[in-house]
Amino acid sequence: MTEPSPTSQPPDPAVFPVHKRRLRLLGLTVEDCIQAFFGGNAVISVVVLGLITFFLVREGAGFLGQNRGNLSIYRLAGLEYVDHLRRQAEDHTALTRYLSDLRLRSLNALTGPGGMELEAANARLAAFDAFASGFEDAADPLRGLVSELSEVAAAIKTRHLVIEDKKEERRQLLAERKLEEAAAVVIPEIDFAAELRPIRDSLPAYRVVNRDLAARLGTLLAALPRLAAPEFQPRVDRFIALARDFLAGFPAIERDLEAWDHTRPVSAGEAFPAFVFGRDWLTASFWQDWYGIVPLLTGSFLVALVALCLAVPLGVGAAVYVNQVASAREQRLIKPGIEFISAFPSVVLGFFGIAVLGQALRALSQQPWLAWMPGFPYSERLNILTAGCLLALIAVPTIFTLAEDALNNVPRALKEASLALGASRLQTTVRIVLPASLSGIISAVLLGLGRVIGETMVVLLCAGNRIAIPDFSQGLGFIVEPVHTMTGIIAQEMGEVVRGSIHYRALFMVGLVLFVLSLSINYSAQHIVRRYRLPSS
Amino acid sequence: MPAPAHPFVSRSGGARRLEPVVFGISRAAAYLILVCGAAVFLDIVVKGGATVFQTRAPFVNVAFLSEAPESLYVFEWEGRQMRLGDREYRAFKQAHPAAAAVPAESYVYSSGGIFPCIVGTLLLVVGSMSIALFLGVCAAIYLNEYARDGRFIRCVRLAIINLAGVPSIVFGLFGFGMFVIFFGWNVSLLAGWFTLAFMVLPVVITASEEALKAVPIGFRVGSLALGATKWQTIWRNVLPYALPGILTSSILGIARVAGETAPIMFTAAYVVRDQLPWQVERAMDGLFEGVMALPYHIYVVSSKIPQNEFTERVQYGTAFVFLALVALIATTSIVLRNRLRARYKW
Repeated sequence: MTEPSPTSQPPDPAVFPVHKRRLRLLGLTVEDCIQAFFGGNAVISVVVLGLITFFLVREGAGFLGQNRGNLSIYRLAGLEYVDHLRRQAEDHTALTRYLSDLRLRSLNALTGPGGMELEAANARLAAFDAFASGFEDAADPLRGLVSELSEVAAAIKTRHLVIEDKKEERRQLLAERKLEEAAAVVIPEIDFAAELRPIRDSLPAYRVVNRDLAARLGTLLAALPRLAAPEFQPRVDRFIALARDFLAGFPAIERDLEAWDHTRPVSAGEAFPAFVFGRDWLTASFWQDWYGIVPLLTGSFLVALVALCLAVPLGVGAAVYVNQVASAREQRLIKPGIEFISAFPSVVLGFFGIAVLGQALRALSQQPWLAWMPGFPYSERLNILTAGCLLALIAVPTIFTLAEDALNNVPRALKEASLALGASRLQTTVRIVLPASLSGIISAVLLGLGRVIGETMVVLLCAGNRIAIPDFSQGLGFIVEPVHTMTGIIAQEMGEVVRGSIHYRALFMVGLVLFVLSLSINYSAQHIVRRYRLPSS
Repeated sequence: MPAPAHPFVSRSGGARRLEPVVFGISRAAAYLILVCGAAVFLDIVVKGGATVFQTRAPFVNVAFLSEAPESLYVFEWEGRQMRLGDREYRAFKQAHPAAAAVPAESYVYSSGGIFPCIVGTLLLVVGSMSIALFLGVCAAIYLNEYARDGRFIRCVRLAIINLAGVPSIVFGLFGFGMFVIFFGWNVSLLAGWFTLAFMVLPVVITASEEALKAVPIGFRVGSLALGATKWQTIWRNVLPYALPGILTSSILGIARVAGETAPIMFTAAYVVRDQLPWQVERAMDGLFEGVMALPYHIYVVSSKIPQNEFTERVQYGTAFVFLALVALIATTSIVLRNRLRARYKW
């Protein structure tokens, strides 16, 4: 059945009379050419995978260098120095917010059912108010200093950026061989040490401000008026503890400022951790742009978590039912039905989320009998929960189909042996069939996770698109907060960025992270199936 | 009914009472999924059907399917609420000069139809599926007919499986980086074709291979024994019988190509384009221009314009037409498959 190979042994005409002259191209027969052509097509998937990696890296790799530049100017222009003070001022603002929250709670408690009139309650809280405003005003000198220094630092940064633009202009002129024009571009140098003098010289003034602030807050805290309601005492104590921590941090800030050195170089190794562990994704800001993937990564994972929490029980439960219990007629109804769901375009599901599901879930959350649910009631229509519900619908067909396959692959003999030993159907399913197919089910869940992490349109439309790490302090309440995701940010911002800018490259870096993540999820799913395959199947 | 008195009678225990409960829950899970799917589907069909169909002859809203999107103007005129599309509004203002002074609220894309989007989606699907089917079937032929198991083939198969798991937005970035920027094709039909084709390639390869495997080995052996070459065998005796299966497989691919928005967002889709794809000076220019596409249009009308009674018409109408189009393409290839399958029986 195999034809004689012409290269290895030319057939002897005397022995083998059926002989055909073969047309040869570059020493290959036509058949060889055809085979090579098909082989070339088979290689395409390898090539595409390589090209994806290559182009993501090609467009994204420049990010590290650019981010290093971004971070160095942050240091050189003194923005880093000012941010030390700014963080201190923000910590103080957080404390005042705590105070106003405390006041609102006490006011509500005082004017609550059977309570006093509003004016009486306000009068009762007058001492507290005096304390709070004193606390707030104490930081005024600090805030003044911050805004003063901010202007200086921002001005230095602007000048630096103008110079960078000029350098770019000269480079382009040189590239176009316009030497005279290039020579005419004047590039002034910035003497950062001199420019930073006003900022550095503010250190003694800052020490004075700091000492005053510490003294004033210390006196205020010592004379903290007692709130009438004893149930708020723990909160007051907590406030005092927080304020003491805040005060205790002052010397450290001063030390940081003394040790601060604008010439300390940003090493190449710093740009990458700033991306991977950065907690801010802030673009087109007047002060400083940050490209940290953590908020996007958490967003993606939280949405996926909610989706899987819904999809895994449903998908696996349905698979068990269809495979172990359902009659043939029911199988013919359920299987195509669920496969039909997988054909829903994701953008249609996203639209459904905006148009119907968002409102429906919010209305549901405002029902009094559901108030026990974490985060309920909520007012943001588009959030993790809405996106998670729709993504669950996307993940369910994947999980169902693959889990059903895994259940199907369990050798019949195992099930029959179990039943023959007197186990009930439930016992057989739970103790024999499910453990035997566990690797397949886990890989189904992993592939469902890959599907959900990579899904774009639903999260872009329904996740709320707020770039922030959700607040985990309320327990499970984070599921009703809006987030932004890795896929969503690429889809949203890619159309608006300048090609070659740091923002553009940062988006390609996010794409690269997504690519690596999905490959590793996919790989571990395959690995689990291979590793724990039943010997007989 | 009295219990039989033999020793193997099933005793009623905890496990036995639990069984209907557990299976009942799993049954509920199965039907809950179906109900959720049906709820989404019916919502779109009922509300979208109101846009696309009408009670008077010809029963289909021809204008919606055959016109380009327009802005909608809503204003009060002589005590009545007027809703006019862009062209009508301008004509109305010419007929009634006083109308120009009446404040009108405008909603983009909310009037007119979605014809350019339908055309664009069809072009994208046909082009990218042609590329993907050609590449995919050839690759499957190699994998199933020529290749012997080895390191290289394992590598190829690993690549195919991994390619299937790559998120669609990453394909979008890749297409943008390679076709739009590196090849300089800009946002164009051609860039969209290749991006989508590479995205569905693993689906097409896997399914074509299944179809080729289903052709009995005897067909090949018999043909080779009669002196046909390998290629003649494949062309005459394997491919015709595998074709129905390959077409079925492409259904899955079509649903994916037509349904994905993320890969075409930066490679092929325009938010709005006044000309139709063939209204260009030279024929080749059509390939290097972007098109409007249904999924992208749904994204635009659901995220960029407010949700209210005036915009609902176009939002649901587009979603409905989109679902119907995907279903139509799928049905066509099912019918085609059945015809071909009726011709070949073994």
